[in-house]
Amino acid sequence: MIDIKHLEIGYQNKRQHNSVFKDINLTLNAGDLVGLMGDNGVGKSTFLKTITGNLAPLSGEIHINNKSISHYTAQHLAQLLSIVVTEKIGGFNLTAWDVVATGRTPYINIFGKLTTEDESIVTKALEQLNLLPLKDKLIDELSDGQRQKVMIAKSLAQQTPIIVLDEPTAFLDHTSKHHLFATLKQLCVEQGKLIIVSSHDLELMKTYINKSVMMAENNSISIK
Amino acid sequence: MSKSKFIFTTLMLLLVLAVLAICDLCFGSTNLFSLESSNPMFSSILYDIRLPKTLTSIIAGSGLALCGLLMQSLFRNPLAGPYVLGVSSGSSLFVAIATMMISSIHVSGFFIMGKSIVTLFSIMGAFFVTLIILLVSRKNKSNVTVLLVGLMLGQILSAFQGLIEYMSNADNLKTFVMWGMGSVGSTTLQDLYFVIPIYAITIVASFFFIKPLNAILLNEQYAQNLGVNVNALRLSVIILSAILVGVITAFCGPIAFVGISVPIASRLFFKTSHHLHQMTFCLLLGACVVLTADVICQVLSSQFMLPINTVTTLIGSPVVIYLLFKSKLSIG
Repeated sequence: MIDIKHLEIGYQNKRQHNSVFKDINLTLNAGDLVGLMGDNGVGKSTFLKTITGNLAPLSGEIHINNKSISHYTAQHLAQLLSIVVTEKIGGFNLTAWDVVATGRTPYINIFGKLTTEDESIVTKALEQLNLLPLKDKLIDELSDGQRQKVMIAKSLAQQTPIIVLDEPTAFLDHTSKHHLFATLKQLCVEQGKLIIVSSHDLELMKTYINKSVMMAENNSISIK
Repeated sequence: MSKSKFIFTTLMLLLVLAVLAICDLCFGSTNLFSLESSNPMFSSILYDIRLPKTLTSIIAGSGLALCGLLMQSLFRNPLAGPYVLGVSSGSSLFVAIATMMISSIHVSGFFIMGKSIVTLFSIMGAFFVTLIILLVSRKNKSNVTVLLVGLMLGQILSAFQGLIEYMSNADNLKTFVMWGMGSVGSTTLQDLYFVIPIYAITIVASFFFIKPLNAILLNEQYAQNLGVNVNALRLSVIILSAILVGVITAFCGPIAFVGISVPIASRLFFKTSHHLHQMTFCLLLGACVVLTADVICQVLSSQFMLPINTVTTLIGSPVVIYLLFKSKLSIG
């Protein structure tokens, strides 16, 4: 599903070429729950930003379904790949429903009008994560764990075969972490989604993942 | 917000707007009811003075409120607005440059070519400041920093404006100071033939950004992942805001607090985040606020023109203070 060849990641502008990690070679398949591990600053978030198209690679290739990521339009990529990031969202009267409904953005008309089908997809996504009773709650009123689940429900509403989560357990307690990973595992098994998760909770991840990618400081990457 | 509730709220706001517009047409130094409708004075006052003023109030209020909403969504900051971020100051400075440095142009009664130049300068000033604020917001994600930079920029631009005023002659200075207090009463029907098409095009164009604006409320990374071209959205919002603020400021002066307080009030009153709803409500509510301010000005001082900024500030400031105590809206 995702093929990565000789990928070099980092940041580049007119003056600087700051390489963070070099020569990443990786193949990830549908149904995989992939754990991305490594110390702080090793480049996990940069890697995730690069494979989701938020950051241009310095060199190398990323193919999704045998097609280079650069050949996809933003609209098409949004139908293939969804993200859950660490940054908290809130304010502006955003309810859990509103946030999950933004997952339909790649499919709806220019005026943001949801069809009946879109609404049922949003309801189903909320149901899958037991969030339906909270749908009208403001996002600011939810706990960190509930917020994180809302963002995952947004990814489900986006109906992408690939979901990428950057440090989703950062604000969660022990029970919520297990519940989150159990949900992700279920999505991989039942819906064949490819889910890539970065986290520092190594022991927790090992319980659920079926593939691990360990990034180390000396530009070495080990895949199990 | 359900469709029926949206339609009902819109109709109610339209009704309030219609009532306020009629009040605005009726109130003034001359009592229209005391004149026969066949009296030439009646049609002269109604069509040459009151109607342009009422239409200008609607355009200024709705346009500034929409601008405020666009900026608050783009910066994801409920305290953003054309006045607070110094955009109006940018417009004012450039208008000052145009009016004071180009001797053939005067703020009151200047010919159409002069007015076009002033408007163009005003748009350029608004565009220039919005661009700087946007660059700052990209370098520094802190909402507080962006606001402080906006406030400081506004002060710097005001200082330059003061310098230009200091160097200008007494007549120009008086005209410009009066303009700076904000007024919806100096626009003529001929001016509106120029303003209305620009206003209509920018308002209609804004509605084509509903979907990306809804997405960017999460954050830029999410918006990009949802298929939004964030750079194109930024540039479009800046251009639309600059045109609206520039045109309104050129004709009415820098009107305070409407841009920031109306979107906040709209969010507090109508609990929705969807931009189709918020844009509609802000347009109507903004028009209602400036019409109310103008009616208050007329009632309090029918013999002379009370600066509209005084009233909009008195209405707007409490809303901003209320916001500061309303933690649910705080994302800074």
